[in-house]
Amino acid sequence: MTTQRHDFDSAPFLIEELPWHPRFSLRVRPGNRAALAAALSLDLPTAIGQRATAAGAEVFCLGPDEWTILVDNAAPLVAASRNAYGQIPHSLVEISDREITLRISGAQALTALTTGCPRDIEAMPVGQGARTLYDSATVTLWRDDRQDFRMDVWRSFLPHVRAILDQVMVELRSGL
Amino acid sequence: MLLIHCPYCDATLPESEFAYAGEAHINRPADPSTLTDEEWRDYLFIRTNARGPHFERWRHVHGCARFFNAVRDTVSDRFLMTYKAGEARPDLTAVKEAAE
Amino acid sequence: MSRHRIPGMGRVDPAAPVNFTFDGRTYQGLRGDTVASALLANGVHLMGRSFKYHRPRGAVTAGSEEPNALIGTSRGPGRFEPNTRATVQELRANLTTESQNKWPRLSFDIGALNDRAYMLFSAGFYYKTFMWPRSFWDKVYEPFIRAAAGLGKSPTETDPDNYAHRNLHTDVLVVGGGAAGIAAALTAAKSGARVMLVDENPELGGSLLSDPSVRIEGRGSWAWLAEQLSQLRAAGVRLMTRTTAIGYYHQNFVGLVERVTDHLDQPPHGAPRERMWHVRAGQVILAQGALEKPLVFDGNDRPGVMLAGAAQTYLNRYGVKVGDNAAVVTSHDSAYYAAFDLVDAGARVAVIADTRTSVRSDLLDAARKRGIQVLTGHTATGTEGRLRVKSVRVNPVRHGQVGAGRKIACDALLICGGWTPSLHLFSHTKGSLAWDADSRTFLPNHKTEACQIAGAGRGLWGYGPVLADGVKAGIAAAKALGRDAAGSDARVEGDRPGTGTSQTELPTDRSPSKAKAFVDYQNDVTAKDIRLAVREGMRSIEHVKRYTTNGMATDQGKMSNINGLMIAADALGKEPPQVGLTTFRPPYTPTSFGAFAGYHKGATFEITRKTPIDPWAEAQGAVFEPVSLWRRAWYFPQGAEDMHQAVARECRATRASVGMFDASTLGKIEVTGPDAVEFMNRMYTNPWTKLQPGRCRYGLLLGEDGFIRDDGVIGRLSPDLFHVTTTTGGAARVMNMMEDYLQTEWPDLDVWLTSTTEQWATVALNGPNARKVLEKLVEGLDLSDVNFPHMSVAECTVAGLPARLFRISFTGELGFEVNVPARHGMQLWQAIHEAGQQYDICPYGTETMHVLRAEKGYIIVGQDTDGTVTPQDAGLDWAIGKAKKDFVGKRSLQRPDIVAPNRKQLVGLLTENGTRLEEGAQIVLDPNQSLPMTMAGHVTSSYDSVALGRPIAMAVITGGHAMMGRTVHIPMPEGTVQATITSTNFYDPDGERLKA
Repeated sequence: MTTQRHDFDSAPFLIEELPWHPRFSLRVRPGNRAALAAALSLDLPTAIGQRATAAGAEVFCLGPDEWTILVDNAAPLVAASRNAYGQIPHSLVEISDREITLRISGAQALTALTTGCPRDIEAMPVGQGARTLYDSATVTLWRDDRQDFRMDVWRSFLPHVRAILDQVMVELRSGL
Repeated sequence: MLLIHCPYCDATLPESEFAYAGEAHINRPADPSTLTDEEWRDYLFIRTNARGPHFERWRHVHGCARFFNAVRDTVSDRFLMTYKAGEARPDLTAVKEAAE
Repeated sequence: MSRHRIPGMGRVDPAAPVNFTFDGRTYQGLRGDTVASALLANGVHLMGRSFKYHRPRGAVTAGSEEPNALIGTSRGPGRFEPNTRATVQELRANLTTESQNKWPRLSFDIGALNDRAYMLFSAGFYYKTFMWPRSFWDKVYEPFIRAAAGLGKSPTETDPDNYAHRNLHTDVLVVGGGAAGIAAALTAAKSGARVMLVDENPELGGSLLSDPSVRIEGRGSWAWLAEQLSQLRAAGVRLMTRTTAIGYYHQNFVGLVERVTDHLDQPPHGAPRERMWHVRAGQVILAQGALEKPLVFDGNDRPGVMLAGAAQTYLNRYGVKVGDNAAVVTSHDSAYYAAFDLVDAGARVAVIADTRTSVRSDLLDAARKRGIQVLTGHTATGTEGRLRVKSVRVNPVRHGQVGAGRKIACDALLICGGWTPSLHLFSHTKGSLAWDADSRTFLPNHKTEACQIAGAGRGLWGYGPVLADGVKAGIAAAKALGRDAAGSDARVEGDRPGTGTSQTELPTDRSPSKAKAFVDYQNDVTAKDIRLAVREGMRSIEHVKRYTTNGMATDQGKMSNINGLMIAADALGKEPPQVGLTTFRPPYTPTSFGAFAGYHKGATFEITRKTPIDPWAEAQGAVFEPVSLWRRAWYFPQGAEDMHQAVARECRATRASVGMFDASTLGKIEVTGPDAVEFMNRMYTNPWTKLQPGRCRYGLLLGEDGFIRDDGVIGRLSPDLFHVTTTTGGAARVMNMMEDYLQTEWPDLDVWLTSTTEQWATVALNGPNARKVLEKLVEGLDLSDVNFPHMSVAECTVAGLPARLFRISFTGELGFEVNVPARHGMQLWQAIHEAGQQYDICPYGTETMHVLRAEKGYIIVGQDTDGTVTPQDAGLDWAIGKAKKDFVGKRSLQRPDIVAPNRKQLVGLLTENGTRLEEGAQIVLDPNQSLPMTMAGHVTSSYDSVALGRPIAMAVITGGHAMMGRTVHIPMPEGTVQATITSTNFYDPDGERLKA
């Protein structure tokens, strides 16, 4: 973690586009969740919005049978999935290019998000997240710290979301 | 702008995350070919136009993405309850009592 | 300092003069003034002309309910706003303002002739006057009505300001920052709840700001107020001023508009002008106070006639004396305090005429002490003064008889007809009101939302009771949220309790038919109009309102509704609740479109989705077209080419050699799982079981009603994995439909759907040289026709990128579609473009794609179909798996209406004279039939075809499939065009080119 990212003197919040990272959508019946988790060596949380981390992987429960998985190294996960498929039917689809992740952090990061997110982001516990809306785009929001969020946006929606966040930046910079 | 309780997320969330999906408890016939034209017409087109509690389907489309069922009062607009897809149609009297 | 400003009074800053102009003349006010208070400080009462009669008018209030003092304001180009209330607009440097509804000038207005002709403009005059002759309706009457309608001038320039949006969740929202609201907010905050307190004024305090003499907890009310505000801040309460709660919606959802910069001399760069807040509160506390009503009598609208409470506010908040010699007419105690404050500030009050026969003795004593003559049991029957009131005529009323009048000179007339609890927001929630017979007013009754109502908003009067009520509301809100709260009553000295009564129009000794006794100042509705409406048969208050327009102006009847109701009820001989109250609707006060639009203007008006290849197209000067939310390259003009030339070149190049096309917007769904093939069989009309991995098939998707919903090529990559493509616009809809069936009808199927539309960038290559271009880039796959025939799919490497390669064609030429991970889309595009140079590869846009597919008769769902087209209608019977027992929509294909003859069917059309038909043009079989003609169908697609050297068209025509070779007629403004019905497969009908 660099100190540069936390230099907020000039900006009310900071928007960074995070580099490409392998990302998968995992689907499995709730009854097979535990078995698949073991086969993939992942913790698959059951509550929607819950997250888990393992060595080189982050897991986010988006729905009752849906998880987003970020992995440093995709090949072992894909291989484990392939091996398990015969016994435990499931779906593992690569979506690394579907979304682009923005990191939104800084003193007014929460305020910046409330310009477009209708839910109570303030009440979202740190370390959890939600698939929700920013403006009219579906986004996945990860709350990493009180004022530190990641937002996954479908690639084609990114210019719109960025354009609005840029307006918000100007607005917050004005101090009013 | 209503608040809707998603039975999958177990959270009460703003309406803008959800989409209406028509009347609930209209099951697709197991074998449509055995239906008369009238029966099939009714399945396709005939819907309740309730004044008061109405069984509805909603989807948490900008959230967990699940379809679920709801009882909503068409007069007050309020949701009386929501429940997961596939669960039995709840007893209206009980729902109304619980909502009051 | 002007002689109307009293040194040492008010909350304005005497050391900070601010210049502004009104109707071209420069005036000086003080920081803290509104335009109205600054004009009054300059002795200017005349601020506008009324809507219908163009009568001279001045400010009648000191707040947002102002009906008269509407002005145009400007802060430079594009920053003109009409109908700004001068009583709300704060002074700022170089503010330019102008009066409205006058010509040639405010003091002499030609339109005031309407005032002389007032008999013509009585209730319902539009309905009565503009009846005949019929030929006048659109030539004379409509232009007249349109010219006369509306207040102020619309801005003509684009608004250059920014507007912002915020969502906020809170435990308690308190609306109204007066005594009750402050007490409620502080009480609730002490319980630990998240609390916000909003007020439309620039300062919190409400009526406390106009009552500095009251003492609370041993301190002057202003000192007490300052201390409360610091306590609120310390308790973490979010305090928002200049913020109007405009609407109260379901489940404590409240819309707020914050005016951020309109009061600033120099708004900081980037600051939004206004900000819309969507607040969701656990508890709402409505502490909006009450609105003062005017008394209704002849001449109650002259400049200088104003509400007593307004005069008190101008005096105490702004240090402005509205007159040197005032008179008061009232039916409520509160006006006495206004009179007392004026006298104490050095003005003279000639008389207080009270409609009531008995008045509290302490008020009479206090009046006597100040030398004010009090006339109880009196009525007002007229005023004089053209541009400023000069006198009022008052008469005693004894046993219902109006006695002789006497004229009392005055330069300001303060009136008070009692107070109406401000119940607008409460009414938005459909909360019911109850008529209180004692106070003759409506009070809040049954609540539909989790809210509390405190203070004057529920009929309480005096600071002691109101503060106690605020504390009570704060405790109730906290308890409802499961928190402990407590509070004690504040000690108030010098309180100003009061009661009063409500009135109809005041009795007069003159002819009531000549009286101009205004009920609604903004719409110029008089008491006589309301009585006339009742005489002419209006029974419900809703009908009276619409017939007279009472309460229908921009102030939504804040001052007029109750007086109007009293008069209507009296005319009907009923109690007011039997006549009813009109519905209050949001917004509470006029709200700018900008506040609603927020960030959605200009480039962010709505989402524009862009593909990974979009920047290349933009750099090449492509012309774009919107396709659902996407923008897609429409055509790539070269040099001075117009669209027609560019498209012709792109078509020619593709059919002659090779063209490339960005197909990334196509919807893509990964269908995977052991039951994937079963799912596909159930969803699509086609059979999928026998489709081998490595092969593709055109898939047709119907709704359960049997009509075409979507289509696309679907590849089977492995037994359990299908790569489904959908139309660009249909992607989300198809995904939703599939998820619906999967989640709710067939939850037993082991299959999962993942949207991969944006995972892949897709480039289509079409033309006889497509393979030659691609071969240079492909590794791990033999592209020959034998090994990779039409309708094949494979995973391979293209330009060094992992790819899914389809051999498919939407042009009739040898075609491929290359999918690579989206982040490589641009790299793939450039690699293909470079490899294709040898063959003069031509990038083409959506228009060429449309022409090429139309030449082959390939449909575009949504263009050649409209939601009522079946597979048979579209000539796609071949895509139906007839052996399949069931699929979505199958049963409907046997419905009587679907199998009936003479459905509209898709056919080709070739015009006989080579005209290009217009898409949407209607088709008839007999051009000579009488009007209205029987429409046989319409043109769905029409293009100039380079390959065929003539225009081609597709159309849906009743029974069209059986009419091959027949001539139909397309009547157009330039004359009727003849066309021949043909097959839709215009080009290479045997499909030889596909097999190359």
